[in-house]
Amino acid sequence: MSDRSTSLTGQFSNPGAIPRRQFLRDGARAAALTGLGGLLGLAAGRSTRAGTVWQIDPQKCIRCGNCATHCVLEQSAVKCVHAYAICGYCQLCTGFFEPAPNDLNTGAENCLCPTAAIKRAFVEDPYYEYTIDEGLCIGCAKCVEGCNRFGNGSLFLQVRHDRCLNCNECAISKVCAGDAFRRVPSEHPYLLKTMSH
Amino acid sequence: MNNRNRTITRRVFLRRSASGAGWLALGGVSLAGAAQRNANPFAYDLERVSKTDPKLVRYEQAGRFVCPWPGPRRLAVGPEDHLYIAARKGVTVLDGEGRRLQEIALAAPARCVAVAADGTVYAGLRDHVEVFDPKGRRLAAWESPGRKVWLTGLAVADKDVFVADAGNRVVLDYGVSGKLAGRIGEKNKERNIPGLIVPSPYLDVKMGPDGLLRVNNPGRHLVEVYTANGDLESSWGKATAAIEGFCGCCNPVGLAVLPDGRYVTCEKGLPRVKIYSAQGVFESVVAGPESFPENARAGALQDASDGLLGGLDAAVDSQGRIYVLDLVAADVRMMRAKA
Repeated sequence: MSDRSTSLTGQFSNPGAIPRRQFLRDGARAAALTGLGGLLGLAAGRSTRAGTVWQIDPQKCIRCGNCATHCVLEQSAVKCVHAYAICGYCQLCTGFFEPAPNDLNTGAENCLCPTAAIKRAFVEDPYYEYTIDEGLCIGCAKCVEGCNRFGNGSLFLQVRHDRCLNCNECAISKVCAGDAFRRVPSEHPYLLKTMSH
Repeated sequence: MNNRNRTITRRVFLRRSASGAGWLALGGVSLAGAAQRNANPFAYDLERVSKTDPKLVRYEQAGRFVCPWPGPRRLAVGPEDHLYIAARKGVTVLDGEGRRLQEIALAAPARCVAVAADGTVYAGLRDHVEVFDPKGRRLAAWESPGRKVWLTGLAVADKDVFVADAGNRVVLDYGVSGKLAGRIGEKNKERNIPGLIVPSPYLDVKMGPDGLLRVNNPGRHLVEVYTANGDLESSWGKATAAIEGFCGCCNPVGLAVLPDGRYVTCEKGLPRVKIYSAQGVFESVVAGPESFPENARAGALQDASDGLLGGLDAAVDSQGRIYVLDLVAADVRMMRAKA
């Protein structure tokens, strides 16, 4: 108390006190260090999730169309894939044809896919094989809906990890209407459909 | 009192009205914009074919009841117009009002059922048939006919039991003793039989009043008529989402035959039940997709068993009433012709 006195203005005059400028400088430095610590913590958190990747649970997917429109990539990393073991190889594939096609041929007016990403090849009467051109597929799930509605559900969506950036917070997962996005171990990055019988 | 007598000028009134209308319009535009943003630009559009012309619907619902056991697959009508429902736990026997009369528990899910005139019950499990007397006592369990068997339909005649095996795309002709006597519907050029195409496990077989077998050929969108010896007599049907045909990749999934020989057909995907003449000409609708909203969504929302959840089945009683089994809602509707 002895070295502490009151000035004329009534303020404390303390020789050991920190000037406002220094206080602000120290405060800013502390805040920066706190921020840096936070970032390091976040990075550490991410490193613990490094062993997982995003994937779609095909049993939960409701074909809402968000995969085509919400991926951060210009062309979505979500693609339609085909479980051939489940496929009926139907002549009138409802994943390939419009619900009421004029004819069962590959004319654009008869086809369901907006980017012509499904290829149809004759196997033997009356069976046809359907393959997905991933370079054209935008993951809109229109074919998946057609296949699931009428058929065996052999077409389904998957995040393709040759393209996916594995964002910390997947932009599609935030808007996924079926809550079908989840992280899976990177050693098993795909959730495949299998025959139930 | 003063407040009640307070008046506003025409100008103020108009200004406030304009302001209110402006706010309303802004709200409307905002809501419409939100709806537009939420709409799926890649929606699979079935709206046009999902609506049934009311003039074509010539049946009305006279009753509805819940299936006692979950996972119903097929139903049949037996003596005294009792209903037999094949379900996950076995076969339940109900009266026409849905009252439970009897239960036949099974070790595995029943996938199809047929009842003889004497009350003998034939239950199809996945790979074999079990036989029960009218009191539900097991009489026999037939040997499985082989590999990849997936039984989905049964019909019984005087001396034969016809079993639809979707897994092997064939109708098996058994004697009532359980001895395999023949195979029907397999591709055979010499007999001019194109063969059954069954992309999903919905092969059905029914016996008509003329003693001929009716078999659905879902992959070809046909109903085929066979003799008990396996000769293909005729076929009819066309693939179209329009009401007169069979929609999707593989329909019809269920058949029934009215006492006068006309057909009742059941479809999945666009769940609808329709009547065709004995020659296969479309006549009317028993119930359209509007009647089965849960069933229509089943393929789209709950494909845990890979599209096997949907579908309908039908059976006809002695009075021509049609019982429609909804596999998803697990209920039965009794439909009768409108007066």
